[in-house]
Amino acid sequence: MNCCGLFLRTAAVRAWPALVAFTVSRRSLRTSLQTRAFAKELFLGKIEKKEVFPFPEVSQDELNEINQFVGPVEKFFTEEVDSRKIDQEGKIPKETLEKLKSLGLFGMQVPEEYGGLGLSNTMYARLREIVSVDGSIAMTLEAHQAIGLKGIILAGSEEQKARYLPKLASGEHIAAFCLTEPASGSDAASIQTRASLSEDKKHYILSGSKVWITNGGLANIFTVFAKTNVDSDSSVKDKITAFIVERDFGGVTNGKPEDKLGIRGSNICEVHFENTKVPVENVLGEVGGGLKVAMNILNSGRFSMGSSVAGMLKKLIEMTAEYACTRKQFNRNLSEFGLIQEKFALMAQKTYVMESMAYLTAGMLDQPGFPDCSIETAMVKVFSSEAAWQCVSEALQILGGSGYVRDYPYERMLRDARILLIFEGTNEILRMHIALTGLQHAGRILTARINELKQGNVTTVLDTVGRRLRDSLGRTVDLGLTGNLGAVHPSVADSARKLEENVYYFGRTVETLLLRFGKTIVEEQMVLKRVANILINLYGMTAVLSRASRSMRAGLRNHDHEVLLANIFCTEAYSQNLFTLSQLDKYSPDNLDEQIKKVSQQILERRAYICAHPLDRTS
Amino acid sequence: MSWAQGILLARSLSRGWRGICGTILMRAPFSQVPSQAPRGLHCSTATHNSDSSLVPSPPEPLRGPTKALSPHEELFRQSPDVARDKATFVRAVQNFGQHNVHKRGHVDFIYLALRKMREYGVEQDLAVYNLLLDIFPKEVFRPRNIFQRIFIHYPRQQECGVAVLEQMENHGVMPNKETEFLLIQIFGRKSHPMLKFVRMRLWFSRFKNVNPFPVPRDLPQDPVDLARLGLRHIEPDLSARVTVYQMPPSKDSTGTADPTEQYIVGIQSPDQQAALARHNPARPIFVEGPFSLWLHNKCVYYHILRAELVPPEEREVGEIPEEWNLYYPMQLDLDYGRSGWDDYEFDINEASTGELQASSGLEEPFPPPLNGQEEEEDDPQRHQQGQS
Repeated sequence: MNCCGLFLRTAAVRAWPALVAFTVSRRSLRTSLQTRAFAKELFLGKIEKKEVFPFPEVSQDELNEINQFVGPVEKFFTEEVDSRKIDQEGKIPKETLEKLKSLGLFGMQVPEEYGGLGLSNTMYARLREIVSVDGSIAMTLEAHQAIGLKGIILAGSEEQKARYLPKLASGEHIAAFCLTEPASGSDAASIQTRASLSEDKKHYILSGSKVWITNGGLANIFTVFAKTNVDSDSSVKDKITAFIVERDFGGVTNGKPEDKLGIRGSNICEVHFENTKVPVENVLGEVGGGLKVAMNILNSGRFSMGSSVAGMLKKLIEMTAEYACTRKQFNRNLSEFGLIQEKFALMAQKTYVMESMAYLTAGMLDQPGFPDCSIETAMVKVFSSEAAWQCVSEALQILGGSGYVRDYPYERMLRDARILLIFEGTNEILRMHIALTGLQHAGRILTARINELKQGNVTTVLDTVGRRLRDSLGRTVDLGLTGNLGAVHPSVADSARKLEENVYYFGRTVETLLLRFGKTIVEEQMVLKRVANILINLYGMTAVLSRASRSMRAGLRNHDHEVLLANIFCTEAYSQNLFTLSQLDKYSPDNLDEQIKKVSQQILERRAYICAHPLDRTS
Repeated sequence: MSWAQGILLARSLSRGWRGICGTILMRAPFSQVPSQAPRGLHCSTATHNSDSSLVPSPPEPLRGPTKALSPHEELFRQSPDVARDKATFVRAVQNFGQHNVHKRGHVDFIYLALRKMREYGVEQDLAVYNLLLDIFPKEVFRPRNIFQRIFIHYPRQQECGVAVLEQMENHGVMPNKETEFLLIQIFGRKSHPMLKFVRMRLWFSRFKNVNPFPVPRDLPQDPVDLARLGLRHIEPDLSARVTVYQMPPSKDSTGTADPTEQYIVGIQSPDQQAALARHNPARPIFVEGPFSLWLHNKCVYYHILRAELVPPEEREVGEIPEEWNLYYPMQLDLDYGRSGWDDYEFDINEASTGELQASSGLEEPFPPPLNGQEEEEDDPQRHQQGQS
């Protein structure tokens, strides 16, 4: 019996890669029901193993194809793009733009029938790794594709696609996304731009002004969001509608390019619309459905930030390591000092996590159907933007004074990395998004239970109390990741156990929070921030475990190094999560929310720092 | 001892005792009493009895309406055209010193001077207090042996020193090193005035910043500025705007006493403006006042514009747009609200009884009623139009 089992197990292990390949090649024919997204289930304390294990793979053919693209683009960026000149002058030279157009980088995600490259999300992420070497070019391309023309791809009708996409894909026209106004950033209901139907009902007259529009000066095609009067069944309301506006329609003017801290080569300016005539056929999606279009566009473009930052950090590690291993102080190389080694380990670890999260999300998005991965993409964005800022800062620190001067690219990369925390949804807003979307999902499912608890249903109460008691006595949680039929490789089994424990306790905490706050949790931003932080750590741990297990099982190069990185990250994330979970308790001494609110209220009342100077005397 | 002698003894003893008690309790100088005290049968002190004297008595000094004048009053009596200010006060004090080297009756003089300070407007001046303390002879009242230390040495003088310091305390004057030196020289380190001084030094410095809304010491003289200061105290919101409406100087005033024009100073914060904009014109708005606000020793009067709280049934619930936030749901679609254990909504300090919409100060006399009322009512609207 035992040897039979052993034989079966070895057979299973040997068949593993074949199995994986089999599932991959059959992916497009999967007919099962759309499984629920991964992150939302984490809020209920469950890990949806099918979504994340095994780590998504692409076939060898696809990989060869993408490497063919990657080669020339990499060559172009290393040889012909002078980032320093772009940064100093504040604009991208025309030859560079032409070359980018010829490489096809202006239409990476446009379907092939309209002249673009038609890349899947994974391949798009791969190409972005290289493009992000220069921040301004990356920003211009992203504003053009990921948000500018994404609207047409996602929500446009066939004739709109046929009319606009070919020119946009070839780069003849550049696109821009116009939503933000001086008085409204995240507050969509307060936009002032209006579009009113003309008398002959063939045009919309658009007027208003938009601010911080990337590519505003270069673009010919704008995706503009404006308020229109919508006659719904009950009343006439103002709803947001999306329009495709060409510069040729007239009345489109732009201000001068803004002088910025970083990404100085990109063109960001104000765009004013004065009585621009937009034909009725140019409405994107339906009249009044503009907000959904906007949300879809923004949610779909975020994940690629993970891979682009990872690409930049890889290059950074190379440059910095070169310096650290050659510079000598006190008769030793810098690389022999502990603090420097710590910095390198941090950079490597963050890069690894970022890459894993980005490609896991890309794999999830590439599944057939329209999986709702808005939380996952938001998590990738938040993690990678903050890690970018931290790692570039550390790399600059390794270089010391040289990192600070303009001769080296570090200060430019630091300045370019700062915008990552702000655009595409500031990190604070995205944390709210992560936490609230998940809580909404969990809240709906737990409604029945919570209502019972509130009414004081005896069995439910006893059940909950019993569970809490058992939790407080310390229980071992087994969600199926470790063990013989576990999804992860035994070398990362410890980390998997930590992940399971965290997920379980997170689920419990979410239930307690919903019980305590209910609907009003929207106002408790500090609580939501903690929830989001825990979730980001959990997702990172999952991605890292999944990728490390696959590397081990497939036998990729340096897989033991990956296991090291995975274990380090999981241990750190585990202890951070435990601390954050303890802060979420009601009367926890670590929970300083009340004091923080009081301090900020006193400061904001006087709008100044109110303490007396340390040198002050009373007599 | 006969009963008369007993009475005499008792009376003299009581006089002595009353002296001590009198200074502590009633603080009336002893020398004011003798003209009313009964004389004993065999008293040997010469009496100043206007009835039976053979020497024509010197003309009596002018008496005030009810109380008797103290002996050094004439030092402070000035001719009406001389202004009563610090210089004359100092001169009067110095004149006392010049009158007699031994400074007889200095305690009474100091009490008198303390009373006169307010007239001369020097009650907040530390230098003057130091000058008063300087009147005491130095080194005389310091205790020299243990018996003097146990019992209060020179109680009247110590009591007087304490009175000076107490007046300083009442007017909020902080004593300085010179005062300390004087007190040590006069009374010694363990005396009551010194104790009071040490306490004053500690508690004044501790309580200097205890008022969270301090009013500056020197109040502005211009009534418009004073009104502005007062209104800022009523409405501490930093976004609030102060508006001043002033009537142009009328042509018939020919430079007589009152040069200030009539004015209305008002303050309104943007939240109040919004509340006013939301206000339903069918409901009344009340102009309430005048309420008084004291700033040190000046009083300003103000009115407020107030509306009643709308009862919860009629309160218009602000419509929450369905798709408000681009990034996250502003309203969770759940059935249940906060649990009772986490409900911190009711705060006794924030219970509202009405909506305050604006406050304003007016100058007396009130401008002619019709114009005034119109101005009042137009004010909020004008606030809106001017600042929207």
